[in-house]
Amino acid sequence: MNPVPTNDNPFAGDNSGIQQRETAARWALRVGSYIVVIITLAIMLHIFIKGAPVVFQSKWPFVNTQFLTELPATLHVIEDQQGNHIETDVNGADAVKKKLGDDFRSEKTISYSGGGILGPIVGTALLVIVSVGVALFLGVACAIYLSEYAKHGKFLEMVRLAILNLAGVPSVVFGLFGLGAFVLTAPTFVDVPADRSVFAIPLGFTTLSFEGWDTCVLSGGFTLAFVILPVIITASEQCLQAVPQGFRETSMALGATRWQTIRYSVLPFATPGILTSSILGIARAAGETAPIMFTAALAFKDKLPWQKDLPPLPADASIFAHWEQSVSRFLGIFTESVQALPYHIYTLAAKIPQNEYAERAQYGSVFVFLVLVASLAASSVLLRKRLRAKYRW
Amino acid sequence: MSADSTAQSTPPPVVQVRDMDFCYGASKALFDINLKVEYHRVTALIGPSGCGKSTLLRCINRMNDRVPSARVTKGEVLVKGKNIHDADVDLTQLRKQVGMVFQKSNPFPKSIYENVAYGLRIHGEKNKSVLDEAVERSLTHAALWEELKDRLHANALALSGGQQQRLCIARAIATVPDVLLMDEPCSALDPISTLKIEELMHQLAREFTVVIVTHNMQQAVRVSDYTAFLHLGKLVEFAPTEELFTNPREKLTDSYLRGTFS
Ligand SMILES: Nc1ncnc2c1ncn2[C@@H]1O[C@H](COP(=O)(O)OP(=O)(O)OP(=O)(O)O)[C@@H](O)[C@H]1O
Ligand SMILES: [Mg+2]
Repeated sequence: MNPVPTNDNPFAGDNSGIQQRETAARWALRVGSYIVVIITLAIMLHIFIKGAPVVFQSKWPFVNTQFLTELPATLHVIEDQQGNHIETDVNGADAVKKKLGDDFRSEKTISYSGGGILGPIVGTALLVIVSVGVALFLGVACAIYLSEYAKHGKFLEMVRLAILNLAGVPSVVFGLFGLGAFVLTAPTFVDVPADRSVFAIPLGFTTLSFEGWDTCVLSGGFTLAFVILPVIITASEQCLQAVPQGFRETSMALGATRWQTIRYSVLPFATPGILTSSILGIARAAGETAPIMFTAALAFKDKLPWQKDLPPLPADASIFAHWEQSVSRFLGIFTESVQALPYHIYTLAAKIPQNEYAERAQYGSVFVFLVLVASLAASSVLLRKRLRAKYRW
Repeated sequence: MSADSTAQSTPPPVVQVRDMDFCYGASKALFDINLKVEYHRVTALIGPSGCGKSTLLRCINRMNDRVPSARVTKGEVLVKGKNIHDADVDLTQLRKQVGMVFQKSNPFPKSIYENVAYGLRIHGEKNKSVLDEAVERSLTHAALWEELKDRLHANALALSGGQQQRLCIARAIATVPDVLLMDEPCSALDPISTLKIEELMHQLAREFTVVIVTHNMQQAVRVSDYTAFLHLGKLVEFAPTEELFTNPREKLTDSYLRGTFS
């Protein structure tokens, strides 16, 4: 009954449809992956080639310090008879023209393209601090409630669905929401309510007036917080669920209350993961443009948020008065409108007509922004690796 | 016997389950259970898988409260003479006095010291010397002190499985409960670790009342004074261990013990 081998190779493929489909599928998937990689690399390379020369230089200290430490300014480009271009700022323009004398041919001014991008960097940093602070507090509170307290059932599923939907809302809608909610109606303490106040509650020594916070870091930060809230809630809930149920049972069996259990045997083990994933929230908050357009960002501002004119204190002012002024200067940072990196990039890119100077500032900003985001992402990956090794159970 | 039984000639049972029915949602898991657990005795719960041993054990410290829609539908559970479902029973106090050790050893990924001190800390003990003393006493009780006294601040996850389970016992007795509930504490352990914990059981019974769920009949014989046999949610027979194993009154018990079970 033994079959007689008819072929030298008993395992030879028959080149059937199955094998052809296998090959086709493998190639389709491979080509798809390559396209993604190539496009990503092309974008990175493009930004690096155009942006790196703006940020780095061949001479010591190898970094263009002006670009990183000065505020954006209007660039004056003066052309002489030989066709040389001299770049200067508004203060230097007259001196250059005087020196050139008859050699002077023409002068161009290009707004936002001179100076540096310190203003946008500072603004973005402030917005990120406020938004991540608010989003972490609200998001973690919400995640704890959903995962540890809320009863499982239809209602909980609906809340989860609502949170997922929040992630799909276009960011410009968040911007308009922020404009309505925080810029125009959020409650604040004032002595005399403004005309636009929705309603005011007199409290005796002051008035709680729903007149909004105006365009400022606070309004923008809160708006951005709602943009990244779904990410933070979902990630935090996953981190909480990853803590073994046995920890909770054991803790409760030892007589701990629910909050004690969360505080001492759930949160400590979930926190690393929550922090790691919120770094990705930071990258998102730093990059959003639409939510801050109406709520916090200005195209141009010639002062940093803390450079505010406060009335000078009398010479014999007490230490307390000095302290009070420092505090109000610090708090004032959050009630100022700012420039922000993504909005600055947008402003430069939307300039018509485009020219080489605006383009240069634009790519420089994009490059700095990408370096910031990439280092955030890298630190998130590193942190996760280290914590994974440390918290294994 | 115990010193706190002054007035009566026979001390009241520390745990008393009376005519109790228990339901998970619509399905009944326990039927008309009656059980008395005496002070300073080891009581074993045996029975085939799914018969409700864990459920009954978790009724005694109300751990079943964590399961949504699970509840006692009839009868009552008394611990130290008090109905634990009364409105004025504080769950944290109940669980402080009725400790529990789980099947899967699950130390917190903290230091050995912090694991043992956990129960005392959440009950507000801050005094370092009290904590130190309690940690030493509990670890000694769990036969771990000599092994671990030099590395109290090492992570508990670095211990072997058997050590981890004994650490969990130490953690449960640190709050000095009256009753210690153990749900198959040895089922994940090797024979030598099992032996160590069985030896412990006799020591523990001097100070605590132990209720243990086990699948291992030899273990029940070795460690317990009383045995309860459960089948399909009903308590079939409850008797002194020797009596139940040598001379069972019920036919069901007999066939289960012989392993001729349909
Ligand atoms: N959380 C729950 N929800 C619904 N039913 C449950 C739940 N836990 C247990 N049950 C059911 O209750 C019955 C008793 O379960 P229990 O866990 O008490 O059995 P057991 O005797 O401990 O079994 P084992 O020896 O396998 O641990 C089983 O039929 C089980 O399916
Ligand atoms: Mg069980």
